Amino acid sequence: MRQIDDLKPMVQEKIPVEMLLNSPVKLVKLTNETGLENFITDKNLHRPQLALAGYVGLFTFQRVQIFGNTETLYLKSLSRIARIKALQKICQFKIPCVILTNSNTLDQELIDIFVAAGIAVFMTEYDTTKAFSMLSDFLDDQFSPQLVVHGSFVDIYGVGCLFVGRSGIGKSEIALDLIERGHRLVADDVVMLTSKKESLLMGTGTSLVQHFMEIRGLGIIDIRQMFGIRSIRFQKRLEIVVELEDWDDKETYTRTGLDEKSINIMGIEVSKVKLPIFSGKNITVIAEVIAVNYLLRTYGYDASQVFSDKLNERIRKKSGPKKYFEDKRIIPYFKDLE
Amino acid sequence: MIIIEKEVTVRNRAGLHTRPAASLVKLSSRFDSEIFLIRDGFMINGKSIIGVMTLAAENGCVLTIRAEGDDAEAAVNEIADLFEQGFGEI
Repeated sequence: MRQIDDLKPMVQEKIPVEMLLNSPVKLVKLTNETGLENFITDKNLHRPQLALAGYVGLFTFQRVQIFGNTETLYLKSLSRIARIKALQKICQFKIPCVILTNSNTLDQELIDIFVAAGIAVFMTEYDTTKAFSMLSDFLDDQFSPQLVVHGSFVDIYGVGCLFVGRSGIGKSEIALDLIERGHRLVADDVVMLTSKKESLLMGTGTSLVQHFMEIRGLGIIDIRQMFGIRSIRFQKRLEIVVELEDWDDKETYTRTGLDEKSINIMGIEVSKVKLPIFSGKNITVIAEVIAVNYLLRTYGYDASQVFSDKLNERIRKKSGPKKYFEDKRIIPYFKDLE
Repeated sequence: MIIIEKEVTVRNRAGLHTRPAASLVKLSSRFDSEIFLIRDGFMINGKSIIGVMTLAAENGCVLTIRAEGDDAEAAVNEIADLFEQGFGEI
């Protein structure tokens, strides 16, 4: 079986300036169609203060240039000649686009310098700080690496569980069973994983498939229509990868759960559970238990650790199994007798 | 493990719609090798009908078939043939 960690992620190396118009900062075009086909190759933003002042060493011109109040007022403070010179200087560089914040504008003759250089200029009503963070988020999302994974992605009690395994092992059937029990489907068969700020993974479906699903022997069904809106969701953070495998006598499966396994997907560590399948085993219930156990661990209770500590305590006291015979049944034995 | 890749063109006019997708998946599932179809870096499992349909492959578009496993060569050739014959639609 092809493992998730050796799949190659898709990385967007450049996006056209035009894409910025889809960002939430509500950009207004000041240069019509000029420069919309330029490419942005860097997800960071830049405020070109020193460059405007004439120092262009280390000028990160390939970034989106943000003109805040400082830049606009500085330009206004210059003489007309100096102002034009300053802009001509930065326009020698291949800047993808310029964004004016706080609804600031530039004189038409300054805009024309940008147009001549083929640089798009936009305006936004947001202040610099707000526009900066919104645009950073937007560009971070556009440039984040993505991976297409073959599996079923279900939200179980709020825990994002991705089921992977060979074709025909029953990933979709497990997902269907979980949906029947009130859990929510994120995507089946084609799951897109997006790395967010290099710290977590978000899973979604594709716009074509959404919540359609194929069940072998049945065909294609639509989960949203069959089970209603509460049985689906559009995106979910990936927290556990459940690897389904055919039972193998020679493979050693974890018995205590003390050694937590994880898988590295696009540089992000995600918990991994290897689950052997054989007939008569209720995977759905086990999947729910995996999710709940993960929740307990996240909230600070690790059952395998607690049990192990209890055992160590017994060993330390050297009381052995004869203690069980001493524990009288009349006393509820969940009460801690020690 | 043998890995084989081959480029194919979608030749039938209607593209890789439901019926051709189904026959493609049926064929891929007969092989032990893992089968992948790749379009513009988007790689899906060739044994998943939803996956194949996600490619939304129109007439004339070029896909890469990739097989990994002992019967990879036969798999790639047979699948390529299916594309060549336009899934019986030309």
